[in-house]
Amino acid sequence: MQTMTRSESAMPGASVIEGRHVGKTFGGGSVIALEGASFDVTKGSFVSLVGPSGCGKSTLLRLIAGLIDRTSGQLTVHGVPVTGPHTDVGMMFQRATLLEWRTAVENVLLPIEIQRSVTAADKARAMELLAMVGLKDFAFSFPSQLSGGMQQRVALARLLQTGADILLLDEPFGALDEFTRERLNLELMRIVSEVGATTLFVTHNILEAIFLADEVMVMTPRPGRLARMVHVPFARPRTPELTLTPEFNALVAEVRDILGTH
Amino acid sequence: MAVAADIAAAGGPSLRQRRMLTHAAIFFGLVALWEIGSRAGWLDPLFFPRPTDILASFWRIYVTQGNIWYHLFVSLSLVFAGFIAGSVLGIGLGALVGMNATVRRFLQPYVIVLEATPRIAVAPLLIAALGFGVTSKIAIIMLVCFFAPFINTLSGVINVDRDRLELMRSLGASKLQTLRKLVLPEAIPVIMAGERLALTAALSGVLVAEFIQRDKGIGTLILTYTRNLNMASAFACIFTLTAIGFLIFKGMEVLDHRIAFWKNEAGLRRVSTKRARGWAEKGGAVHV
Repeated sequence: MQTMTRSESAMPGASVIEGRHVGKTFGGGSVIALEGASFDVTKGSFVSLVGPSGCGKSTLLRLIAGLIDRTSGQLTVHGVPVTGPHTDVGMMFQRATLLEWRTAVENVLLPIEIQRSVTAADKARAMELLAMVGLKDFAFSFPSQLSGGMQQRVALARLLQTGADILLLDEPFGALDEFTRERLNLELMRIVSEVGATTLFVTHNILEAIFLADEVMVMTPRPGRLARMVHVPFARPRTPELTLTPEFNALVAEVRDILGTH
Repeated sequence: MAVAADIAAAGGPSLRQRRMLTHAAIFFGLVALWEIGSRAGWLDPLFFPRPTDILASFWRIYVTQGNIWYHLFVSLSLVFAGFIAGSVLGIGLGALVGMNATVRRFLQPYVIVLEATPRIAVAPLLIAALGFGVTSKIAIIMLVCFFAPFINTLSGVINVDRDRLELMRSLGASKLQTLRKLVLPEAIPVIMAGERLALTAALSGVLVAEFIQRDKGIGTLILTYTRNLNMASAFACIFTLTAIGFLIFKGMEVLDHRIAFWKNEAGLRRVSTKRARGWAEKGGAVHV
């Protein structure tokens, strides 16, 4: 049923993020969070980072975002070494981190406000993005008036409003119930392919990791290591039925095997 | 619930109304007992002037003699001047100290020591330093008003949500932007709680200032009446302060609800509607 083609949005060869032996220690070297991670992320691809707690997946994401500094190795985004927070990447967290005193649309406009003054075009774009995440009618609701899933949708719209072409998602739907999470995952796939962004998605759910991604970075803990990159060959758009196919389950078994043997 | 329904159906008073009636009955019963007790000589009129005498004093100081107005004006002006000065200083310094980890580390021990010292004890020193007059009175009120906003702003700024801070960082926000767009708004409910404490403290502060410098103001008036053993009038002044204290409390509550609107349902609904209207009026393209 599934053919062995890559995602249409991916342009093979052009890597936007390059890591060479990237390492991060905390507490003056006493805690190794990540060790010798080397990888390339292709432009427009969807990469999942999967592994148990303590495997350094969130650390790797924060390193790429420039929120923390690496202790060893080279790390470039668009060919430029990462030295601090930069606007090429946008980040989304497990918690929606919305500002409670701002309406949904005002939250979406926050990234613009920080860069420059907001124009009518920005406002129109914010409304467009809210419509894209299915919150057209909730633009003027405050976060506390929205459900957890809706709050994450606002956070996603805010992430897209940054205009960043690299999206870093740290277990974005991890705090939501199973049904909401599944639905949001499907929408996320649709939206990122629509905007053509390169996406890094942290999760500890193997099925989710494979279902969403073109590549899966399988990571193992103590110390955090990138064990292997697993290529996911299934065509897009994907539907939940994919998870029932033998090919899919063979990949699940493969990832589980990598995680189990470490 | 069935019982409540029965009462409602019978057209009797609601539970709330019956409670109010009970409260009123108890209150007036106590006042009547007080009156009877004073008249019968069971209560020392020096400590418990008759309620009717207190009422008469109210009439006199507010209407026939009308002397309280001037003193009220003097005291309340001082309260607001001292409160504004003290809380502006408190909030400003609190934000400044909270945003800077180094300053905080070196300032912390002094803050703890100063917080443990009763502020009122310093009042005579302030008068010695600044002399008698309005300046030293305002300084005393400032002193008692400063700490609650300072400590609350500081803790609000320190305890700001870490994930949100990281978000601001990932968006490339400057320190000032982070303060304006995240830290201060998030700290507002805590700051408002500090302001409420400060205003109540200001009311005590003005009394202390006027007890020490007996020239004018409601504190001086109470002192004068008490010295002349005119307890009924002193009580009238005290009850006036009770009313003012209550009004301050309620006023701050209303203000708190308006400023930290996102902490209550009604506020959220009100502001949501307002923002939607504002957006439409400014020509933002609202998709219907």
